[in-house]
Amino acid sequence: MFNGFSHSVMGASHEKTGLVCQDSSAYKIGEGYAIAVVADGHGSKKHFRSHLGSKFAVEATIEAIDRFYEEREELEKNLPTNAKLIIKNIEKQIISNWNIKVEKHLSENPVRDEEKEKFTDEEFEAIPPESYYGTTLVAAVSGDNYTFGLQIGDGSLVAIFEDCKAVMPMEYNESAPANVTASMCNSNAASMFSSFYAPNKRLIAMYGSTDGLYTSFGSEYDFLDYHSIITSQLVNLESFKKVIINNLTKRSHYGTEDDISLSCVYNEDLLNEKIGDLKAQVEENKRQAALRKEELLRKRVT
Amino acid sequence: MSNENMTEPEVNETQAASALDGFEPAETADTSAQSDDMLDFDDDPLSATGVSRKSLVIFFLIDTSGSMKGKKMGELNTVMEELIPEIRRVGEADTEVKVAVLTFSTEVRWMYSTPIAIEDFEWARLRASGVTSMGAAFKELNQRMSRNSFLNSPSLSFAPVIFLMTDGYPSDDYKEGLRELQANSWYKFGLKAALGIGQEANDNILAEFTGSKDTVVHAYSGGQLAQMIKIIAVTSSQIGSKSMTLSDDTSHELGEEDVFAAKQKLLGQQIQDLVSSQTDGSDVPFDTGW
Repeated sequence: MFNGFSHSVMGASHEKTGLVCQDSSAYKIGEGYAIAVVADGHGSKKHFRSHLGSKFAVEATIEAIDRFYEEREELEKNLPTNAKLIIKNIEKQIISNWNIKVEKHLSENPVRDEEKEKFTDEEFEAIPPESYYGTTLVAAVSGDNYTFGLQIGDGSLVAIFEDCKAVMPMEYNESAPANVTASMCNSNAASMFSSFYAPNKRLIAMYGSTDGLYTSFGSEYDFLDYHSIITSQLVNLESFKKVIINNLTKRSHYGTEDDISLSCVYNEDLLNEKIGDLKAQVEENKRQAALRKEELLRKRVT
Repeated sequence: MSNENMTEPEVNETQAASALDGFEPAETADTSAQSDDMLDFDDDPLSATGVSRKSLVIFFLIDTSGSMKGKKMGELNTVMEELIPEIRRVGEADTEVKVAVLTFSTEVRWMYSTPIAIEDFEWARLRASGVTSMGAAFKELNQRMSRNSFLNSPSLSFAPVIFLMTDGYPSDDYKEGLRELQANSWYKFGLKAALGIGQEANDNILAEFTGSKDTVVHAYSGGQLAQMIKIIAVTSSQIGSKSMTLSDDTSHELGEEDVFAAKQKLLGQQIQDLVSSQTDGSDVPFDTGW
């Protein structure tokens, strides 16, 4: 039995400048599967509708994945042998859904004069309409004994499988150019996705987050440990949710001041079974963090 | 059963409204303390992983060749020890400053194995001997200025500050090292400044390193050395840690190139303004008696 939560907080820098929150997040518990999804609208000048773009990306993703799960038995039978192809098809469906949503919104809400006034006519004409809505996307799906995920642009995906260790399972697409932020609005978006497929593993919990969360940490170790701590507290989700929201708010305030979204799905039965091991892992992580700090300061070379 | 949840973004109501000013450090001490109380729970297990502010790395490239022996190295050690608390103050507002020190003589060496948070940083007094392997230092810097090496912190938000100090002509092929370094994006977008110490330092080579004569200064005496190091280090870390991601007229984000160009120009202007107002004519030159 899956459960989940998702939350988006607005970054301090966006509050200062009067920008609306560019992030969107959601989770969905379906029959035998669960989806966690977050999206981060680019928020810069030419992406002036990206807060809507991120919302459309989240909706488009859930709709696309739901559609594939309409024939769940068939999907799960084919996944072990054809995961790459199936995930690629889901990605294409997401892009298609997103473009339809963008086109519909644009036709119903043509660009207003105040949106155009930041540009010269020449500049405005050079922007492809889908760029107005540019956004990243991170999504992950878990079934009974498998997990897969996909991503375009910045953001992170953390999974905790039955060994209780927090990992980032995404296999990054090396062909995506390093100096270009991959986006749903790119004309070659379908080729810019990264993805992963983890078969024959039971998942305890999985988290998608926008880059505002990652950048609020001093090290990747701390980032992973954070997810271990949250997982160890999920048995009391209702009371712990307030702590998570306050912590995300604090991170968006004191960290890089960016919007932060976190979406989580978890397997309640496996969580209860492994809760002792999860708490032990949190203590071990603390011990390792103290050792790392000691090592860092000791290694002085003169 | 089907359960779909779309999250409406929440506005952080604890954030005090503050005017946009990309060039003034935010005065947040009082409101931060208040907000901390509001946001923290006594039993918040998530506080075990701290919140990292936006971070900046300052690289000091320091010539420790034999010609730096005596007054130059003594003065440099003293001023660097004094400088650390001043840089700490730069970071107090909203930036976490980290420091990495690379020394070059016959060999190149890092003072610490990784950039150290300024709060934890302790200066290790340097000794001078050997030749001036500046090209090797440039190559070493190029290798370490990478997301896979010294610049691997998730919270890294600003291009680094790179500050070169030398008193002489390189003894190796510095051009080859500089060519490698110039291909590094962190170097391209980093704030670069250089200090020539004494008569022998070649300002043209230093300008090749920084990309502009405005960001090269010269110290001919111990007093000037102390002034110049402080001016460059403090000014460049102040400018380096500014969030110049917004333009005044459009309220939209600037491109990376625009931010870099604006910061580098500002650094050159401020260094030249400060230098012209700080010269101390009564000081004894380094090269007297050398």
